[in-house]
Amino acid sequence: MPELKEVIISITNRCNYKCRMCDIPFQKSKELTTSQWQKVIRDAYLIGAETIVFSGGEPLLREDIFELISYVKNNSMNCCLTSNGYLIDEECASRLHNSGIDVVNISIEGPPQIHDYLRGRGTFDKAVFALENLRKYKIESTIATMVSRYNYKYLDYIVELAKEYKATTIKFQPFNRIFLSSNCSEGNFFISKREIKRMKDMTKKVTWLCNNYGITTNPRRYLEMMPLYLSRNHFDSSFICNTLWISCPINSQGEIYPCWVLTQKDKLIGNINQDSFLNIWNSQKHRSVVEKIKKDGCPGCMMSCYDENFGRDGLETRIVTNVKRLQKEGAFEYVRRILKRWGRRFKFYNSYRGSPRQAFNRLRGLFKKKKLHKTEIDKEEIDKALKEIALIKKIFEEEIRCLS
Amino acid sequence: MDYLKEFKINLAYHFSEVLEYPFAKPYWIYVSLSHKCTYKCQMCGVVKILKGYELQTKLIKKALNEINSWNWDCVVMFTGGEPFLREDIFELINYSVNRRLKTEVVSNGALINKEMASRIINSGLQNIAISLDGAKESTHDLIRERGSFKKALDAITNLVMTKKRMNTGPQISVWTTIMKENVQELFEIIDLVKELGVECLVYHPVIVAQDDMQKTSPNAPFWISDGYIKILKEQIDKILDYQSKYGLVAFLHNPYLWLKYFESTLTKKDWKCNPFVFLNIGPDGEVRSCGSSFGNIREMSLDDCLVSKEAFNARRTMKLCQKPCLQTCWAHPESNSLLDIANRFIESIKDNKDKTKFLKETIKILEEYENLLISYKDA
Ligand SMILES: C[S@@+](CC[C@H](N)C(=O)[O-])C[C@H]1O[C@@H](n2cnc3c(N)ncnc32)[C@H](O)[C@@H]1O
Ligand SMILES: C[S@@+](CC[C@H](N)C(=O)[O-])C[C@H]1O[C@@H](n2cnc3c(N)ncnc32)[C@H](O)[C@@H]1O
Ligand code: SF4
Ligand code: SF4
Ligand code: SF4
Ligand code: SF4
Repeated sequence: MPELKEVIISITNRCNYKCRMCDIPFQKSKELTTSQWQKVIRDAYLIGAETIVFSGGEPLLREDIFELISYVKNNSMNCCLTSNGYLIDEECASRLHNSGIDVVNISIEGPPQIHDYLRGRGTFDKAVFALENLRKYKIESTIATMVSRYNYKYLDYIVELAKEYKATTIKFQPFNRIFLSSNCSEGNFFISKREIKRMKDMTKKVTWLCNNYGITTNPRRYLEMMPLYLSRNHFDSSFICNTLWISCPINSQGEIYPCWVLTQKDKLIGNINQDSFLNIWNSQKHRSVVEKIKKDGCPGCMMSCYDENFGRDGLETRIVTNVKRLQKEGAFEYVRRILKRWGRRFKFYNSYRGSPRQAFNRLRGLFKKKKLHKTEIDKEEIDKALKEIALIKKIFEEEIRCLS
Repeated sequence: MDYLKEFKINLAYHFSEVLEYPFAKPYWIYVSLSHKCTYKCQMCGVVKILKGYELQTKLIKKALNEINSWNWDCVVMFTGGEPFLREDIFELINYSVNRRLKTEVVSNGALINKEMASRIINSGLQNIAISLDGAKESTHDLIRERGSFKKALDAITNLVMTKKRMNTGPQISVWTTIMKENVQELFEIIDLVKELGVECLVYHPVIVAQDDMQKTSPNAPFWISDGYIKILKEQIDKILDYQSKYGLVAFLHNPYLWLKYFESTLTKKDWKCNPFVFLNIGPDGEVRSCGSSFGNIREMSLDDCLVSKEAFNARRTMKLCQKPCLQTCWAHPESNSLLDIANRFIESIKDNKDKTKFLKETIKILEEYENLLISYKDA
């Protein structure tokens, strides 16, 4: 059983924004108290978590948020916070700095018009202002972007923005229904089939840019999968979710589900109001719920907090994925596809590093012994030096004569 | 006999410099063990420039063996990145110390807890330097990283305590980089350091770009520009005053040169480096003094690096350096003029009984050089 790495706490449902894609602010909930959260954090530490993430709602609306961050840091875990950036002025940044936070994640949806359309007028400037203030106080910033029909053409803009403001990571996440309550319409977030190709090109560009700038982003396969997913095509979920044990969400009312997506009543693992996090995590119920998901399989999701499923994943996932592919496509098609991919890779290498011959020569150069070089010393300089030596010798001889 | 040895060394550096040929071996050998570091300090290029490189243990040992075979008076300085991030650091220190090389380490102190401190104290090092860039927590932390000030102080305390307990150990020193951010606190650092029990404090001015040390510009970050120069001057006055009374601070050149450095009026007349005195081995294996590389120890021996064509070219460029960098230990003023060397020697043996013998000995050494040079001329 893999170990718990991070606990994601949705600390409040309150929010100062009314974004078009999210109706968390309208889901009223009874929040936990400061001491209850402190207990959770302490328990997380005891279980062995490395990171606590505060999200929401807008977590900075909680009056005790700085206190909680310090509490996390005092328990020597990493602390991360997700915010829309509205409240991060200079004073807030300095308080964040003092609380010891490690990373602040700011949501940015794209160029100003698009961001403002989705999140409200003037919000883009606020977000950028927040990034600026974070940088001023040397707090590592990252960017979160929800990808949808509105902004998929402008994802490269985000990368450039991240570069400019020295954000270290960009996490893309396609639009998802789970942030909307069931009676809400989905609106126009999905893309049409015709747009798939264009979006694919864009995700490729994003991967390339991020690599170039040294910015971390989602695994490549995750980004590749996004266009199909956003066009509401069924998407290939041929993996076992291996983040279930590693990451644990807790919502603002203290309920714990196996993940952010599977929140049906029968999957409820426990509630902080009734039992401690430590007990819930170690409970039989937890075990059985997760085992059941593993057995039945899950619909799969593209929540960015679970994107490790798509890459950087364990050997097991990779084998399972490949075996499933093999079964589905048949051996011939499978091998053909792999060869094709290698062919592309080779072509790319060729264009990038020159022909194989050139590459070979470069390699050979490594083993060749370098010829040594013995310079001749300038004759004039030697003469000068000889003269100098003669002079000094004379001084010494003089000295000796004086003594005797 | 020590006078003679010093005389010989000075002579070697002198002739190396005027004839551009390595008669002398380097005195300071900086071995940059790894690009990896616990911090990302603002002024430091190591982490950025040398990203991804780390020297193999085998290679370092090979280089140390070679240095040992020179039988030359020199200091091996392990730096980085953060040297203590390497798991084999004590193995390397041991290896070096066992070969009777003077060995020193520079560290930011982040990893020096009590246990580490006692290992360091017992390792046989000659000197351990901790970087401290401010007297106030906020300054140091701004330059380096939050919490780094406390860690540096903890490291120093741990070292000092352990050394007291053990009654032996390396000299414990502090290095401070002079820059705009901390110019007002330079003097205060002395107090702090003194209280902690540090034995030596060294200041060096900031280099703007570590990939090109001659690149200086008044609007660069960290640069002490017009308004701050006055402050720097006041600080130097105070520091000098203190130093003349109580010591502790070590200068290898006149600190008033810092003013010229930051005013960009420093010239070769004021201060020049001797390319033969120092050598850097980068985490990528490149060997250089300053500027372009002499060669790579992955491909050739250290000796071959010193006489490679690239080395000669690089040293020639250094000779033409327009903007000396004033890095503390890279000069060798003792060897600038032959006449000075001779006079100093005579001065030093003034009251010695065997004066004549010494003088005869020196004449022999000079004659050796004479023959050597003549043979070079004929060849
Ligand atoms: C729910 S917000 C909470 C934190 C904070 N209020 C903020 O906006 O960053 C967390 C992330 O979810 C994203 N998000 C919101 N609605 C979404 C949806 N319907 N589908 C996918 N992601 C969504 C937001 O862009 C944001 O980056
Ligand atoms: C590169 S560090 C390596 C050892 C260790 N990590 C440390 O910080 O002490 C060696 C020394 O170089 C100094 N240094 C870093 N950047 C500098 C710069 N731009 N100019 C001058 N000195 C610098 C540091 O303050 C430190 O004392
Ligand atoms: S996305 Fe974030 S800022 Fe927007 S309404 Fe939802 S919680 Fe608030
Ligand atoms: S893939 Fe998504 S829905 Fe499935 S278990 Fe993992 S997080 Fe939950
Ligand atoms: S600790 Fe030393 S090596 Fe690391 S970034 Fe700072 S100065 Fe550079
Ligand atoms: S003085 Fe010497 S070491 Fe300094 S920059 Fe010039 S050539 Fe390089």
